[in-house]
Amino acid sequence: MTATKPRPDAHTRAQPDAPSDDPRVTLDRDLGVFEPVPPYPPRTEREAEFYTLGDGEMFINMGPQHPSTHGVLRVVLKLDGEKVVDLDPVLGYLHRGVEKLCENADYHQAICYLDPLEYVSSLFCEWPGVMAFEKLMDVQVPRRAEYIRVLSAELNRVASHALFLGWMALDLGGLTPILWSFIERDEIVEMLASLTGQRMLFNYFRIGGVNGDLNHEFMSRLGDWMSHATEQIEAGNALLNENEIFVRRMRGLGTIDSKAALRMVMTGPNLRATGVPFDVRRAHPYSIYPELDFDIPTRSEGDCLARYLLRMDEVKQSLRIIDQCLHQMPDGPVMAKLPRLLRPRPGRAYAGIEGPRGQYAAYVVSDGTDQPFRMRIHDPSFIHLQAVGVMTPGHLIADTMAVMASLDPIMGGVDK
Amino acid sequence: MDRAFKARLEARFGDQLTGPLRQRHDETEIRIGPGDVTQVITALHDEPAFGFEFLADLAGVDTGEVMQVVYHLWSATTPDWLRVIADGLSRDEPRVPSVTFMWKGAEWMEREAYDMFGITFEGNRDLRRIYMPPDYQSFPLRKDFFLPDDAARSPGAGVRPMERTHTPRNAPATATVRRAGA
Repeated sequence: MTATKPRPDAHTRAQPDAPSDDPRVTLDRDLGVFEPVPPYPPRTEREAEFYTLGDGEMFINMGPQHPSTHGVLRVVLKLDGEKVVDLDPVLGYLHRGVEKLCENADYHQAICYLDPLEYVSSLFCEWPGVMAFEKLMDVQVPRRAEYIRVLSAELNRVASHALFLGWMALDLGGLTPILWSFIERDEIVEMLASLTGQRMLFNYFRIGGVNGDLNHEFMSRLGDWMSHATEQIEAGNALLNENEIFVRRMRGLGTIDSKAALRMVMTGPNLRATGVPFDVRRAHPYSIYPELDFDIPTRSEGDCLARYLLRMDEVKQSLRIIDQCLHQMPDGPVMAKLPRLLRPRPGRAYAGIEGPRGQYAAYVVSDGTDQPFRMRIHDPSFIHLQAVGVMTPGHLIADTMAVMASLDPIMGGVDK
Repeated sequence: MDRAFKARLEARFGDQLTGPLRQRHDETEIRIGPGDVTQVITALHDEPAFGFEFLADLAGVDTGEVMQVVYHLWSATTPDWLRVIADGLSRDEPRVPSVTFMWKGAEWMEREAYDMFGITFEGNRDLRRIYMPPDYQSFPLRKDFFLPDDAARSPGAGVRPMERTHTPRNAPATATVRRAGA
């Protein structure tokens, strides 16, 4: 005789002694984990302060399945009427333990764990990891490989910013821009697919170079796209830049000044929108960026509109870089000659790069085996999401989404 | 490698360094005791000769013997990344002062280091778990925490009962913990 095995989800299902027969009532009670107020006493000073209600205040849960949280994010909002008094983001719904997985993989295998961190700009997640490994092993990357890396990464930056434009308008209730920006993103993604073999998780960079040389299909797609990219981007921008509702909504929203932004260790477009010209490509040059001619656009307002416009300026600079890469592309191999089994000497290496959201970085400790002893991944989305807590108080609930969208966090990178 | 920067660091923090000052590629590395973190970070940030106004990264490291907290800093005064290692935290009770007084944005990175390594950052107002559930007991990135498939090799402190279901045959009786050579 076999005993009946309890269902694995038994603890979330209706209990026989439930007070109501109505499944909805049971469901409400069983999903207690999504109650805004946690069912345990506060663990820290800040938590105690946050979960104490003032006069006329209330809590509301946003997420984790809220469509405009860009993934699985839960934000507990403390409200006074419709005004946000304070907020507490609750993370971890997408946590996969990438760092631990990397420490249990060898150096080649670890690269493919880095791709899905920020799935809209995968090349930028691979790059710091690969660069840190190369530093650890003193590998000299061939120049052609460096050019191909910059070329493909800048394409990915344009694709990521295109998606940002669409998402941001979508979060504000505008449906058209995302349809336009997906046309553009799709062209780039198809182009990168012909180069790397994948549309989203490229897994293209290797220790010592890239996985394959430029091919005919990629070059012809790129040529087609370059011939109309500028007009296409201008058209997409005109849709929003000249939209009075959009501009008035975004201006003066979620303002942060340069001092506060540095205190929140913000980087990338979000920092440059406050007037600080910090770009890792210039501040700490890597790869072939010192040889390329491009500007670092900045804006001084530090509000949502500035962050949006700054990204659109960056796209133009990316197009300049792509153009230069194509003209200066040297001949030669795309992979350094390396043994198949990589065993770097014990040591430590750090590599930071400028991605579409800010500084992506990796810190690797080697103990002399073929696996990284410690792999630390630094993701800008994680850093910027906590700045929402500084920018939002005082604004309305709907503006929380606008502020969050203007910072452009990707939950895959936030939760690692 | 910025040799002049090495000389400046040694002149300023000579008595506070607990290990050799290393330089490799575009990185300079200093090691200090956990008690000196506040002083050294403040000096690096405030003194115009250093001007490290940007915290690039904050990471916890478990070497298998001691815990470390690693800060990466950027400044316009040197072409190197500066790596400050707060070395020699005990594995039983790792404590280090928080740098949230300088960079409020370090709060979540410290929460992450607490969540993954159990390092207590004194002065962080919000030191609670960030990724793992609030009732979670262990610290996953410690070197005595094994992935579920390796659970039988774990000394047990870091592993939940559900992870012990994967007991392989011929599992070694004692755990082998990897130690950092660095």
